[in-house]
Amino acid sequence: MTALVVGLGTPDRGDDGVGPVVAAEVGRCDLPGLHVVRLTAPAELLHLVDGYDSVVVVDALRSGGVPGRVRVLNARVPGNRAAGTHDLGLAEVVALARELGRLPPRFTIVAIEGECFDTGTALSPRVERAVPVAVDAVMTALE
Amino acid sequence: MTRRTMKVGMLARVEGEGGMHVEVRDGRVEQVRLNIFEPPRFFEALLRGRDHSEAPDITARICGICPVAYQMSACLAMEDTFGIEVPEPIRLMRRLLYCGEWIESHALHVFFLHAPDFLGFDGGIEMAREHRGVVEAALRIKHAGNQLMSVVGGRSVHPVNVKVGGFHRMPTMVELTGIRPELVAARHDLLDLVPLLAGFDFPDLEQPHMYFSLGAEHGYPLESGSLVTSAGLHAPVSSFGEHVVEEHVEHSNALHARFDGANYVVGPLARYSLHSGSLSSLAAEVARAAGLGPTCRNPFRSILVRTVELVYALDEAVRIIDEWDGGPASVPVDVRAGVGHGATEAPRGLLYHRYRIDDDGSILDAWIVPPTSQNQPSVEEDLRLFVQDRLDLPQEELTLQCETAIRNYDPCISCATHFLDLTVHHR
Repeated sequence: MTALVVGLGTPDRGDDGVGPVVAAEVGRCDLPGLHVVRLTAPAELLHLVDGYDSVVVVDALRSGGVPGRVRVLNARVPGNRAAGTHDLGLAEVVALARELGRLPPRFTIVAIEGECFDTGTALSPRVERAVPVAVDAVMTALE
Repeated sequence: MTRRTMKVGMLARVEGEGGMHVEVRDGRVEQVRLNIFEPPRFFEALLRGRDHSEAPDITARICGICPVAYQMSACLAMEDTFGIEVPEPIRLMRRLLYCGEWIESHALHVFFLHAPDFLGFDGGIEMAREHRGVVEAALRIKHAGNQLMSVVGGRSVHPVNVKVGGFHRMPTMVELTGIRPELVAARHDLLDLVPLLAGFDFPDLEQPHMYFSLGAEHGYPLESGSLVTSAGLHAPVSSFGEHVVEEHVEHSNALHARFDGANYVVGPLARYSLHSGSLSSLAAEVARAAGLGPTCRNPFRSILVRTVELVYALDEAVRIIDEWDGGPASVPVDVRAGVGHGATEAPRGLLYHRYRIDDDGSILDAWIVPPTSQNQPSVEEDLRLFVQDRLDLPQEELTLQCETAIRNYDPCISCATHFLDLTVHHR
């Protein structure tokens, strides 16, 4: 099986950097057939997912929930998406991939509720503590 | 007395936040306003006191779609201040980087923001359902632009390789030849899509505005040049402020610009109408095949002109790579006090920067005039002309056509706020 883990986010923008941190942790496990990449813009995802049996995207979430809470979403199930302007968000990229018939057989989003997204800040303590939980969630999604 | 009001609260498929309001009384269009409520950005003020070397990277942050335009205009203005003229290889590498930005930006606007209007879809994602091949090809074209930006600029958005005096590092021949096949394939993809675009049903509208662009010293205008207008003016970039005056209007957080007191247009239609003779032979052939003459004054056909420019950018990028012979990454910069001007052709039109620099190289003041604020009065005038002749159309159709008329300009509200939401009132 080939699998791709994508850490989505911008380091040094507070909790927005959690995706790449979790992806790097998963990468350290050196699983056979697993590729790990870091992305700052979701639009590039479309060019990356082709050919993989399973894709897991790790991203920070801002839904007003409890900071550090980890949610696992099946991206193959259609959901809502926001109106877009010049840039494609993760939900739109997933919607576009669905219309183009390019959704991988398994497509999971591991989302970590963030607290602070200020430029020049590190992960907040509650999100930092959620990293191992998110790593476990990615590993479970890959099984 | 009959009154009709049309309104769209939040305009889709434009960059940033704004709306439109049209009021018709007794069969006459009385008021047309682009309401730009995205807050002002204050970039010019925050540049004061910063070092001249920071201007390219700070101003690049004004826009995620055309950061290269800001970097290039800022570099030219600083180099003008210090009396530097960069050697030909640096100018060519800037032109190559700029081609990457045009490819990214035009591919996005033509296929994802504008084509859905003509094909009757809410957006690119809905369009993908019935036009999968078109969207797949468009994504490949845009990706080619991203790759070019990454190779020359260091990354696909907000490049990090540009500095006053040139580049931090020149890409290697291996890197440049490595992206050539993707550019050639993108050009092939694009040529296959031209018949679809040329077959769109374009509403009639002939705009009366003056066209303004850079003059082509080195082919079609892009990374450098002097000022040229359809009224016959040829002038140095330093004379920009003698002609262009920006004014604040109540309904917009973007300044409205006028050229010698009149509305004018910058961007693809202006560049094409003034310089179609400078296109590459393939781009010129595509223009003819798409039914364009040597000039184009119908803003709805701007999607075709952007397509021609997209062919040109792909062609030009391949040409620069094929002829690349290397060169120094940068030239030394000796600072001195003075005033400098820089103008380049952003995807949406001429972008002007002017800086006053202190003798320690710090910025005393900055003046930045983005394309969308220059086009705003003409967008309003186009809508006035357009709506007046179509008052018998049903509300929903007229509103949609008005939105399309605004998207003709690919307005970048974030750049202009210092801009959109559509409200058309029929009273």
